[in-house]
Amino acid sequence: MKNPTLVLLAMLVLLSSCSQHTTSQQEVVVYVSEDQVFSEPILKDFEHETGIKVRAVYDTEEAKSTGAMNRLIAEQNNPQADVYWANEPIRAEVLKQKGISAPYESLNGRDIPAVFKDPDGFWTGFSARARVLVVNNSIRNLPESILAYTDSSWSGRAVITNPLFGTTTSEVAALFTIWGDDQATQFMLDMQANQVAVSTNNGESADFVAAGQADFSLVDSDDAVNRMRQGKPVTMVYPDQGADEIGCFIVPNATLLIKGAPHPQAARTLIDYLLTEATERKLAFADCAQLPLHPGVPTPPELKTIDQIKVMQVNYATVATKMIAIQPFLKRWMGL
Amino acid sequence: MTKKALFVIVVGLLFIIGLLPVIAMFVKSVLVNGHFSLTPYHGLLSSARQWTLMGHSLLLATLVTLLTGVVGVPLGVLLERTDLPWRKFFTALFVIPLLIPPYIIAVSWFDLLGQDGLLTSLLGPVVTGFTAQYLFGLAGCVLVLFSIFLPIPMVLTIIFLRTINPRLEEAGRLVAGWRKVLGSITIPLILPGVLLAVMLVFLFSFGEFSVPNFLRYSVFPVESFLQFSAFYNFEAATAAAVPLALVALMLLLFEAMFLRERTYQLSAAAGLAHRAVINLGGWRKVCFALVAGTGFILVIMPIVILIIQSAGLAAYAEALHRAGDSLMRSLKYAVIGATLLTVLGFFTGYLIQTKALRIWRIVDSMTVFLFALPGTVVGIGLISLWNTSWTNFIYATPLIILLGYLAKYTVLTSRISINQLAQIPPALEEAAQVVGAGWLRRMLLITLPLARRGLLAGWLVGYIFALRDTGITMLVYPAGYETLPVRIFTLMANGSPQLIAALCIIMILATLLPAGIWWIIPGLKDSVVSK
Repeated sequence: MKNPTLVLLAMLVLLSSCSQHTTSQQEVVVYVSEDQVFSEPILKDFEHETGIKVRAVYDTEEAKSTGAMNRLIAEQNNPQADVYWANEPIRAEVLKQKGISAPYESLNGRDIPAVFKDPDGFWTGFSARARVLVVNNSIRNLPESILAYTDSSWSGRAVITNPLFGTTTSEVAALFTIWGDDQATQFMLDMQANQVAVSTNNGESADFVAAGQADFSLVDSDDAVNRMRQGKPVTMVYPDQGADEIGCFIVPNATLLIKGAPHPQAARTLIDYLLTEATERKLAFADCAQLPLHPGVPTPPELKTIDQIKVMQVNYATVATKMIAIQPFLKRWMGL
Repeated sequence: MTKKALFVIVVGLLFIIGLLPVIAMFVKSVLVNGHFSLTPYHGLLSSARQWTLMGHSLLLATLVTLLTGVVGVPLGVLLERTDLPWRKFFTALFVIPLLIPPYIIAVSWFDLLGQDGLLTSLLGPVVTGFTAQYLFGLAGCVLVLFSIFLPIPMVLTIIFLRTINPRLEEAGRLVAGWRKVLGSITIPLILPGVLLAVMLVFLFSFGEFSVPNFLRYSVFPVESFLQFSAFYNFEAATAAAVPLALVALMLLLFEAMFLRERTYQLSAAAGLAHRAVINLGGWRKVCFALVAGTGFILVIMPIVILIIQSAGLAAYAEALHRAGDSLMRSLKYAVIGATLLTVLGFFTGYLIQTKALRIWRIVDSMTVFLFALPGTVVGIGLISLWNTSWTNFIYATPLIILLGYLAKYTVLTSRISINQLAQIPPALEEAAQVVGAGWLRRMLLITLPLARRGLLAGWLVGYIFALRDTGITMLVYPAGYETLPVRIFTLMANGSPQLIAALCIIMILATLLPAGIWWIIPGLKDSVVSK
């Protein structure tokens, strides 16, 4: 340290760089619950194409995709984010109900079916996962309905992800809205009686099936497609596709504008970008293999297009409310 | 500025940076909708699950502590007092896992023993089905944390062995063999060091969240982290953090009552050059094989597995493409953090060493307490205090990460400074004072130059701990300012194993480069404990 003044100056410059944002260019702050490995390339492309710098916070798997949403809630009086990229619409609904999001109807979302959008424009769905049954190839008579979970012929041979977290919670809540509390509660209790195993996440469920430790499991379509692409001995079944059946639960991503966003114009530009067909095509052919919601966007061979699937007709706002209402029951169901 | 004013500022900084966030967190936890309420704590005490988690945490910490103590102390004796070959190499080797983020070791074991691990290709899925079953749970956590914390009893044993007066052992050797001398003289003399090591390992294992989280073993810190990061439930997260803080506080009291005077200033005993070496004789080869085998399994193999898993330059190119910015940020924050830690640690150490203020003992206890708190708790505290529109210059910038480093790691640089300052004869400063040199002048011209090795050692330790930090940074990083350990963590969700392995290797290299300097520069590592 021959010249302490120089060292001190260098430190001051470094330190001051830690206490201010980059203000020389336009920027947008986005909180992301979609896996970083899939969402980051889209955001990089956005940066490249628009020149708007993206600053992002990504959820960890351990936060069960709710960390970013809850950070938004904690920052309600001091908003830092402009946009939220949720990996399912239920979280977006919760934020709407708490008054954290602001309405914005992007022109790029007009072709997306109404069931995947908030009627007041507080969130818009895009690129979805389907809730499918992943089945081990050693099974000859494939289960075709989620009711297989309560069928005694599958006793002790099925696995389901912890219904307290993630897309499984959403689907269980959706079942409560479709079947009513009594039938859905009975379904859950019958599952227990049928010795259904519980795993910690969808990936683990799919791995159990691939390893032959279980015959089938309800997982996200990307978990099933991943295992198929890895050459694992599994097949994907879209459940409940019969004329009188409830259909397959679809979980779209959702994007929304934050109320009081520090960069509202850049936020709208990003939302417009996320809702383009080009973004949906990229997410369809990425490893996450997500279903495009715009009509006519091509999909990889493992996936059906959204119009080839009988979709479970749910109101995501009702599902969000129900999800909170059934938490005590689900905790009891899990023995907590 | 007077000496006293400077130290008042130092204490004020420590209070604002470290203790105030923790106090803010606790205050928030007992104010539900503006009214005093102990509901979250009642919920905590009445929940059977919380007691189960507490049992898991205690079991994990106890097993890791026992194992590291039983292996680490004899290992330390072997590496310090015997004629075992390659002792310096082995000492450096075993320290490596302590320097890198703990979950990286867990990732490596997963790459070996997991369902699709390397062992599957060698032995088939039946064997890995069995190993994976045990890796995910208590056994896996014990294995990983054992390899990470083994260096603590090992290094402390080495350090305390150097403080023993050789004449005591020599006297014992006149009437007894080495086995008897070790059992009756040496080990009892280093018992404070062993107890300190045991306490530290227990504390770290109890507070560790990344490894149990990765290996799906439910423990208290994971609950606290989840309550916060998944649910942002301040009350529940804080309530879950209370037992962690209490354990930290209890062990701090234990340290203050039984160990502090013995462990404050460690100076090697005179006559070290003539210390007798234990001749292992016929056991030399056996011990060498055992130590080498352990080092291979616990240190070399995990790193080699990561290298194999990341095979090919493509994985490294993708890793740098995806996380190059995070790497640069990590290095920048670590450099700044280490420098701030060195400065704050030096003045804190000076305050404690010279007892410059009456509250010096409180200051010391405060730094130890903050170090003992799990990073997640410190992180939650920082958010509790700084998440307001008035303080966005901290909350919304990397300053909040730096404050986290200062809160948790100041004790390291402060203790190193205390040891370094203890070796500077007070007569030098006194002489300068007699001829009229002011305090600042004495500090700049005498104390700082003489303490430069300690400052550099403190800087390196600060750099390593700031760089590897996950618990605090994970919770507090502002949008777009994530560090490399955080980026690895978030990419783990569906990221390819090759990419994760390559990122882990990059992280290890970034951490070990300065650690290599530590070992290369002669005498630097001895700044902590003088020879």
